[in-house]
Amino acid sequence: MQEDVWIETTCSVCFNDCAIRVHRVDGRVVKIEGNPDCPNSRGGICAKGASGIMLLYDPDRVNVPLKRTNPEKGIGVDPKWVEISWDEALDIITEKLKKIRADDPRKLLGGTTVILIPGPYGVHSSFGEAFGTPNFQVGGISHCGGALHIITGLMYGAWALMVDPNYVNYYLNFGCPTGFGAGYGVVSMATKMADARRRGMKHVVIEPWMGMPGINSDEWIPIRPGTDAALVLAMVNLLLNEYGIYDVERIKHYTNGPYLVGVDGHYVRDKETQKPLMWDVVDSKAKTYDDPTIQDVAIEGSYSVDDVKATPAFSLLKEHVKKYTPEMASQITTVPAETIRRLAKEFGEAARIGSTIVLEGKELPYRPVAVGYFKGPLAHKHATLIVMSLNILQEIVGATNTPGGSLGMSSRSFGYPETGQPSYSPSAGADGLLQAGYWFNPPGPWPLKREAKKPERIGAQDIIPTAHGTSLAARVILEPEKYKLAYKPEMWIRMGGNFMMSSFDPTIWEKAIKEMGAFIVSLSLFLDESTELADIVLPDACYLERLDIQADWQSSFSPVDEWTYHIHQPVVEPMFQRRPAHEVYLELAERLGILGDMYRAMNKRFNFKEPYTLDPAKKYTWEEIVDCWTKGYFGPEHGLEWFREHGLIHWPKKVEEVYWRPFVNGRTPIYFEHFLAVGEQIEKLKKEHGIPGFETADFQPLPDWKPCPSYEEKHPEYDLYGIYYRMPFQTFTSTYNNPWLDEVSRMDPYIYNIAINTGTAKKKGINNGDWVIIESSGTGHKVEGRATLSEAIHPEVVAYCSGGGHWSKNLSIASQRGKGVNPEWLMPLGWDYLDGVSLNLDTCIKVKLTRKV
Amino acid sequence: MRYGMVIDLKKCIGCYGCHIACKAENCTPPGILWSRVLFYESGHYPNVKKMHIPLLCMHCAEPPCEKVCPTGATVKRSDGIVTVDSTKCMGCMSCVVACPYRARSSYSKEKEYFLGQGLTPYEEVGYQLHHTGVVEKCDFCLSRIEKGLEPACVTACLAKARYFGDLDDPSSEVSQLIRNWGGFQMYPELGTDPSVYYLPP
Repeated sequence: MQEDVWIETTCSVCFNDCAIRVHRVDGRVVKIEGNPDCPNSRGGICAKGASGIMLLYDPDRVNVPLKRTNPEKGIGVDPKWVEISWDEALDIITEKLKKIRADDPRKLLGGTTVILIPGPYGVHSSFGEAFGTPNFQVGGISHCGGALHIITGLMYGAWALMVDPNYVNYYLNFGCPTGFGAGYGVVSMATKMADARRRGMKHVVIEPWMGMPGINSDEWIPIRPGTDAALVLAMVNLLLNEYGIYDVERIKHYTNGPYLVGVDGHYVRDKETQKPLMWDVVDSKAKTYDDPTIQDVAIEGSYSVDDVKATPAFSLLKEHVKKYTPEMASQITTVPAETIRRLAKEFGEAARIGSTIVLEGKELPYRPVAVGYFKGPLAHKHATLIVMSLNILQEIVGATNTPGGSLGMSSRSFGYPETGQPSYSPSAGADGLLQAGYWFNPPGPWPLKREAKKPERIGAQDIIPTAHGTSLAARVILEPEKYKLAYKPEMWIRMGGNFMMSSFDPTIWEKAIKEMGAFIVSLSLFLDESTELADIVLPDACYLERLDIQADWQSSFSPVDEWTYHIHQPVVEPMFQRRPAHEVYLELAERLGILGDMYRAMNKRFNFKEPYTLDPAKKYTWEEIVDCWTKGYFGPEHGLEWFREHGLIHWPKKVEEVYWRPFVNGRTPIYFEHFLAVGEQIEKLKKEHGIPGFETADFQPLPDWKPCPSYEEKHPEYDLYGIYYRMPFQTFTSTYNNPWLDEVSRMDPYIYNIAINTGTAKKKGINNGDWVIIESSGTGHKVEGRATLSEAIHPEVVAYCSGGGHWSKNLSIASQRGKGVNPEWLMPLGWDYLDGVSLNLDTCIKVKLTRKV
Repeated sequence: MRYGMVIDLKKCIGCYGCHIACKAENCTPPGILWSRVLFYESGHYPNVKKMHIPLLCMHCAEPPCEKVCPTGATVKRSDGIVTVDSTKCMGCMSCVVACPYRARSSYSKEKEYFLGQGLTPYEEVGYQLHHTGVVEKCDFCLSRIEKGLEPACVTACLAKARYFGDLDDPSSEVSQLIRNWGGFQMYPELGTDPSVYYLPP
């Protein structure tokens, strides 16, 4: 009798965690499809998800534990692996961990890939917390949206934002791929944005290279890289100062626009309560922002409060943007001034300020415009200021968290109707400003609970209270005296991720690793470019081989329609000697005697709910742990067994959850007053301890466009901006060994090649198909590839996909010649290339382009 | 009953999901594509358009492949699906040449996806569905239709840009879409009368 079953589970080829069902016949996986019962994805699945079969059965996978026998480490240096047993591996690791913990737990580093959020990532982080090291997220996630998370946390009470696909009419998109095969909510948003386009949504895309968004646009506007803020601020200027199109009521009631600011840039505060003040125009006096007697507030003008000149923050914004004329922006961006004027007019008029819509019997502000962005515009030095501008543009027309606008990614949840879990909401925090109800990586951005401190962490982000991730670890390792680091790391546990290929110039990490001499343990799927620097490799189980806690990671959700939580269960037992990461971490925790602490950390990190929190005095099987989490959220009838049978749970989102703005107190900042104090703190700390770098010029309350190093590079030979993009059929560097995705990539004209503007190429004597060399102005390194000429790219730009150029021969498909470039070789790691507020990496670089002869 | 498909080029985002879904459903060997995506770029900077066009067998009402088949292996069924009986095909390749949509393919030697490393467990069973030396192509996922399902490419589509149904029924979704949105066929001048229609972008 043939076994023929479909198993519901969750995809993890990227971090969107879409609901899937997998066909298993006689123990073999033969098909992966979308789960048709998921109301948001309705059975859809992307190329990456469908190709997961080839990840499971890839013969290049690591299948046994390995130990290095060649003491020399380096790029392309053979580690001379020998196979060892799991017991031997764990014995070696445990002994080292015991010593480190007794000596100084900070000497343990950890790092993961972003793809394994939430489940394995949460377990990894919990282990680090239980161990007592603050350094458990090093070497990964360097290129993520750090600056975006800070600002959307402040302005949306959410980790990120997504456009409302149901009601948006005019989508001004700075290259965000959500809805176009990548980004967040891959499948659900693709479905909904396709519907939106069919119903007539106008999609205007501004990006230097016509990527997935631009291909699916009504209008593509090319722009010089790193200049988006100039264009956006010119639009803000036009709306505020020339067209007079802005949402006065929204600004008055839901932003800190009316907060009075003194000549020093700080709020003017009530002497007694220290609360920020607003000017009541009816009573002609200053009152605290929460004074119930306020009748109408000023957002313009100038007032005197106890002999102090006080100006509403909005008025300062209005004045501040005057210098961004369309002509000035045009010079910076190469976008024609008439186009900038037209976009501002179209955007402002499409916002329909003052209009309302009735949904579920509730009358809500209707502002059917949105500004889309993610990595592209903020991949530059002044990332935080760029994100501030983009968000201020939509805030001033009131198009946030109401129908048709940009929505905080699951800012507000009332929970599953039977249990009320999970329940969280933005609210009014300190100074009456918006505080997130849920934050993926506590502490949240407001109120700012961290002060600038001398670095304790290997990434030195203690110095920057606003930064949560950092790329600096390699620098600090190489120059510890400069950064006042009091210890030297001795061990690094990595779970996935390929930091050698996804940070910056890999020779910097190579040097740092040699200098550090730390013992590296890699839980890996492949012997990739980062794993080849490990001392012990543990064969990781892939997503089809494990049970996960499907924790609250809103990325896979649709921003509208329904909440969905789906089971992540194994389709096959781990093959060969592979073991899932959570098993490894829990066993190590037990061997170290810190299992109880790990349970405590997991309770917090995964939001286990009473009475199903993990008891530190007990020991649980993994199934019991997953069952506890599930019941905590969905009640005793909906534990793991229920999910094994039903696959997923879903319920409709309420209007008050999705379009929460009118129902929540808490003002959105359009003036970032607290940045001033943070900048001052950092400067003081730097002086006190003689710490270099960490520029604070961008800690300013209002955004400016500032040039990034590429813009300023005027060397005539390095005349092109090298930028990277991503495609929906590869996930960073991790999927390049998949033969099905390789087949698609070989058919696409661009992904394995280097895109150059046809006119630019001709001037340089380059023809379509020529082999070309790109040399970095920042690192001196070169990458090579085949030129694909295109008209759909700015003449000053060369563009390449981000994940190619593999050099590990253990990736038999990925390492073949001509399969893309690894752009990180071109990227330096220096203060010029770091955003001061978020420590985001600047990833564009001026390059020299020549034909290989 | 005439099975047909509608592909909405406005909704299609060019993600290649259909390409892989078909491959996974049918275990087509390396380089063999029953469902594929054409890409083109037109215009001059900055007025440029790029497009993705999903392609598959058109299941023509007047199939040129059937006309040239010497053995009767290629047959158009009464429901419109054009199939190939691999037991009757002698591999003359006339149909491959005759098809204006390049929908047909054949391979002479079985090839692994991981060259030199043997067949994966998936390929071991999947390749049993195929034969070297004969012509194969999309069959609108006949085995799925028989179970009341839609073709794999239709089910997988992220953007829900593909529709499947009865072209002979004027009230079917596919018929309505063609009428309401100006559905068109590819190379109509060749007189093949495809069962696959596209909606303009």
